Amino acid sequence: MSVAVRRVSESELNQEIAALAANPAARFADLFGAHEQGRVLVRVIYALDQEHRYLMLEAPVTDQGHPAISDAEPAAYVEECELFEQFGVRPSGNRPLNRVLMPPQSENTFPLLDGGRRAAVPRELRAPLHVRGEAFEFPFGPVRVAGWESLYMGLVTTGEEVLDLYLFHWHKHRGIERRLRGLTPERGLFFVERTEGLSAASTAWAYCRAVEAAAGTDVPASATATRAVAAELERIYNHAQAIALLCQTTGLSVGQAQAEIALERCLRLNLAAFGHRYLFGVVCLGGARRAPDSAAITSLLPAAVTELERAAAALLRTNSHVDRLETCGIVDERTAHRLAVVGPVARASSVPIDCRRDHPFAPYDRTVVSVPVGTAGDVLARMEVFVAEIRESKRLILELFTEAEAEVATLTGRDGAGFGWAESPRGETLAFVAVDAEGRIERARLRPASVRNWRAFDDAARARNVFTDVPIIEASFWQTVAGFAR
Amino acid sequence: MIWFLRGLRRGVVTTRYPAHADPWAEALPTPPSFDPQKLTFELAERLAAACPAGALRRDGPDLVLDLAGCTGCGRCCEVGGEAVAASGSFELATHDRGSLLKRIPIGADRD
Repeated sequence: MSVAVRRVSESELNQEIAALAANPAARFADLFGAHEQGRVLVRVIYALDQEHRYLMLEAPVTDQGHPAISDAEPAAYVEECELFEQFGVRPSGNRPLNRVLMPPQSENTFPLLDGGRRAAVPRELRAPLHVRGEAFEFPFGPVRVAGWESLYMGLVTTGEEVLDLYLFHWHKHRGIERRLRGLTPERGLFFVERTEGLSAASTAWAYCRAVEAAAGTDVPASATATRAVAAELERIYNHAQAIALLCQTTGLSVGQAQAEIALERCLRLNLAAFGHRYLFGVVCLGGARRAPDSAAITSLLPAAVTELERAAAALLRTNSHVDRLETCGIVDERTAHRLAVVGPVARASSVPIDCRRDHPFAPYDRTVVSVPVGTAGDVLARMEVFVAEIRESKRLILELFTEAEAEVATLTGRDGAGFGWAESPRGETLAFVAVDAEGRIERARLRPASVRNWRAFDDAARARNVFTDVPIIEASFWQTVAGFAR
Repeated sequence: MIWFLRGLRRGVVTTRYPAHADPWAEALPTPPSFDPQKLTFELAERLAAACPAGALRRDGPDLVLDLAGCTGCGRCCEVGGEAVAASGSFELATHDRGSLLKRIPIGADRD
């Protein structure tokens, strides 16, 4: 595993972050807290994609306030807010924070802090929101149409154009990182799979890789192939669902029905291949619990993907559909870099990152993964990336499924810490797990791709877009609130 | 166009449920069913400990299954041997919360 860990002091952290933020080859990936001898330890993770490795900085911080990482690295703002909510430490300089996971009424309780409460509570300042002049705030959510997750959108508008937009994700917070503490890693996997149900296989894969790295266990090659087949099936059905949702939001009922028929075929394929429509229970610690049903893959996969490609091709020839997608919800390349977005959102904006290729791990290190890239950064570019990725996932499945088996290696070590990653349908998913001497989870950090990408959603939705574009942009981002709020 | 005209002619906006048996449903993960005669107190305790969702608990002479909590993960089937199997039943909708609580008498250890 290519992860370099570097210990720095609180004062050195600022300099390190400034240098990394100025380096275009370094991509901010995550920031989170942990306990260490009565103090809070901050870990900052950068992806050095061209060097094919991750860098983890560790710095103990004091209650007085840690260096404000988001000054140099704006993408870290969400994690800084999260760090305050979980541990009660905040950036120095009394900068305002937003509520991201915990609702405002829960202030002064810090769920990941030992004891849960701080004697001296840092002053909480929230970023002020002023809506003046002709503009007003249009509240939308958290209860939305059936099937959409709970999410509050504060749309600031003068009538039609979206001037500003902010989101509250915390209605869906389930405290999963808190829940994992004290569990055995085996037991924890059950909750990890449910962190973001639509990425069950890839989130579980990243988590298992972290636990396996902590234990120093090598996974059998055939089991890694099984995991990859499940993760690629997950990518196909997620992209199918995103395309169906794009049709729904542009009002194309027939296109939506066609995409949903293809989606149902994909889900039935998952069921036939792995016994679960959403691929739960495939990935386990040390390997894979069940092998894919070869007959199901060969008989159902080509037909399902052909149906999906036919529906997508028809949509891309339909002017009333394409007109709504072009120049809608643009994330330009600079914003994509600045906010460190990942997955199809980044790839549609000329940022060609994919950890299957940039941070290769078995079985992707034995094959060549083609990474489609768009340049326009709009909804249409994201849909085109979805379609190209469906094709590539099908190719990978057909290449890998013959070597896929259900094999499980025994985890050797009991305690230690490990870091894992996988490429979910929404992009790079990270996991960090520290296990104590009794074999129980001391700290588990899950960073689904949604944590990174929602940060860019408000940028994409405001300016040059009108109200009715917002659901289209949301469909093209295809993030989950569950993954963000977890 | 045909489906549209057919719908207009019949005046039907929804289909009967189920319109026909769906063979795909047979493979769905479903909550467990228990053979009371093969359940022991010790096994009931192990089943409750194995259930990650907390949907199983032992309550005196009974094993209680809360269908509202069961995710159909299948861990109890792995632990329970011949005493437990997937029920194959997934149509659980009800107006009555109480009907989702199933009490299974633990038969093997009963006098």
